[in-house]
Amino acid sequence: MKTLRLLLFLPGLGAIAWGAVLFADYAFPLRPDVFGTLGWLVGGPLVHDLLVAPVVGAAGLVLSRFLPSCWRTPVRTGAVLTGVLTLLAIPLLWRVGDGPRNPGLHDADTLTGLLVSLAVVWLGVLVAAGLDQARVLREDRRQSASAATTGHCS
Amino acid sequence: MKFSSPAHAERVTSRIGLALAVTFTLCFVTGLISHLIQHPPPWFGWPSRPVWLYRVTQGTHVLSGIASIPLLLAKLWSVYPKLFERPVIRSVAHALERLSILVLSAAAFFELVTGLFNIAQNYPWTFYFPQLHYAVAWVAIGSILVHIAVKLPKVRLTKEPDPSRRAFLRTTWLAAGVAVVATAGATVPLLRNVSGLSWRSGKGPQGLPVNRTAAAAGVLDTARDPNWRLSVVTPKGTKTYSLDELRALPQSSAELPIACVEGWSQSAHWSGVSLPELLRDAESAPGTPVRVISLDKGIYGSSDLPGEHTADELTLLALELNGEILDIDHGFPCRIIAPNRPGVLQTKWVTRLETL
Repeated sequence: MKTLRLLLFLPGLGAIAWGAVLFADYAFPLRPDVFGTLGWLVGGPLVHDLLVAPVVGAAGLVLSRFLPSCWRTPVRTGAVLTGVLTLLAIPLLWRVGDGPRNPGLHDADTLTGLLVSLAVVWLGVLVAAGLDQARVLREDRRQSASAATTGHCS
Repeated sequence: MKFSSPAHAERVTSRIGLALAVTFTLCFVTGLISHLIQHPPPWFGWPSRPVWLYRVTQGTHVLSGIASIPLLLAKLWSVYPKLFERPVIRSVAHALERLSILVLSAAAFFELVTGLFNIAQNYPWTFYFPQLHYAVAWVAIGSILVHIAVKLPKVRLTKEPDPSRRAFLRTTWLAAGVAVVATAGATVPLLRNVSGLSWRSGKGPQGLPVNRTAAAAGVLDTARDPNWRLSVVTPKGTKTYSLDELRALPQSSAELPIACVEGWSQSAHWSGVSLPELLRDAESAPGTPVRVISLDKGIYGSSDLPGEHTADELTLLALELNGEILDIDHGFPCRIIAPNRPGVLQTKWVTRLETL
């Protein structure tokens, strides 16, 4: 175990050091634009830890508090997929640093593509929740052939 | 603060971590291959067959990067409570460990975000993308190795017994799969009409996307000049060819993909003079490395074809694409199309070939 860990650790340090050398090639001598690049480097963890994660956590909390149990997992999954697909579409839709137009590349109708993909996702959510509801109904009927059934999700 | 989500469990973290280790390793290895083909050191060689190999390695690079986006977010969500651990720093070792995780997270985000913007050819920054995507890739893979070395005693890969944790894992795998399916049409023919977020459309001239137009390259006039000639420079002298003279040479055809560094790829039918044929006609020999020089004076205005490729009958100086005279945006009057090479090295608007 100790040898294996060292065999991972030492090449890992070497790779980081080599990456730092390559980055220093770019960064020195220091210029104003290098600080913008540092922003892109630390921006990921900052935006995630301070903005994305709390918002996702709060949304998850709200969804699990107000949704009936059959709907909880399908809707949460649908929300996750919506977020991921939207993230993937951002560079195609938000063209801030655009170069010259290239016919056949990023000239598709991405907005329609995104909306159709999301429609498929939420159709899947409906089907999954419906199947779960049907399963609960069947189980209820089996358990209480005589008693009143509670054929819905709690 | 209390975190009660089923996502925050060591087995969940370990499983997603393993998946990320796989996708990041795939990204690193395929990215390194692409870097070495474009900047070959003396010890490196890249074959001309199979013709689809680069298409697969670069498609894998981009798609494993896309799969990594939901995986990284799920991984960070599963360890998010650790951000609030107190005391913030327990010891020097603990401080270094936290610092290494910050480096890992910064490098991983940088690679995924810049890569995603690059495939859309959208550059909201000032740096040169290939240079820093490559430099930070070493930091990312290195800090992953260090992270695994540190965490190895805590890794749990046994089956997850808790149903809600299993549901979280299932959602994570589903998100990675959906992300891939939603984009893979850019390179996988079967998914061409399925992927709603593909960055490659069917709108290019002659059914093929263009990565640099003749207008952007500033060659609209020089490429259409009736006095255009191809010069083939060998130690025995320079031989020049008009377009008609090239058409009079024996013609070959090949079905070859353009496989771009940005991950899209598409096969097409090319016709023209094979490089071995042209080299023989110019009194050189197939297998001699050749420098290809374009009318385009930009940074991608020349490329070096290794001997491996100039010996291959499938390497063409193409004059036609999909049965028509090459569109000016595809490199009229002639372009290089070689098997198993990045699109960026398939030099267009060729004006000069020099044996090396």
